[in-house]
Amino acid sequence: MKTQTEKELRPGLWETVNERYPDSMITKDDFVELAKLSKPLSESRLTFVSTAGVQPKGSMPFDTVHPVGDYTFRRVPSNAKPKDLEIHQLKYPTFGAEEDLNVIFPIERLQELTQEKFIGGLTESFYSFIGYNMDGERLENTLAEDIAEAVEAENADVVLLSPA
Amino acid sequence: MSVSLDVTERIKPPRAVFLPFMMGHHFGVPHHKDLQTEIIKTALSRITKAEKSGDIFHFPKTWSEARKEGKKLKVKRQKFGD
Repeated sequence: MKTQTEKELRPGLWETVNERYPDSMITKDDFVELAKLSKPLSESRLTFVSTAGVQPKGSMPFDTVHPVGDYTFRRVPSNAKPKDLEIHQLKYPTFGAEEDLNVIFPIERLQELTQEKFIGGLTESFYSFIGYNMDGERLENTLAEDIAEAVEAENADVVLLSPA
Repeated sequence: MSVSLDVTERIKPPRAVFLPFMMGHHFGVPHHKDLQTEIIKTALSRITKAEKSGDIFHFPKTWSEARKEGKKLKVKRQKFGD
């Protein structure tokens, strides 16, 4: 039986992009071991990591035109209001987010779920970067490690990851 | 969260929720709070429901259904306000 990847809708995409930008389209061979939650979600601290390019107004804009990407991240206060945030990213349709940021960065829904005690709490910051990074190795070894370190320092129990 | 099944299958995250939605709309459509919340709760439920690494849960709603619901809410908002 063919796997989903073998019958994928965009055959040849990985090879074509990797030819132009070597190793930019990542393929993993192994599955990461499932981590178990050590306490109920209602007592757990959650953080949100997003590639949506959302950032506090006034912070250094992401470099959205650099040919190989921007390998930095921004902290977004988890108690921020959407009106205090803006998007610097050109690689996905933002018309929905311009009307309601929660469609890609659901900060208000996560705040509500915390008030309702569905989630125990939120880390002080959420984490945001841009998804256009064409050096996969650099992405994994610098940006991903930097965010993981920051998330760990905030004692997050749960991480919700969303690309854009 | 994923709207690109082929990318997710190649990256092999331990748990994922696939939504057949438009890029940039992983949590649904504007002002549809119930849908946005349902998507987050579905994702978080996989923490305990996923039995093995590589679990990809297919969210049971199409982009067309989500948009129709969003349009209905928009009409309601325009008629009655928020």
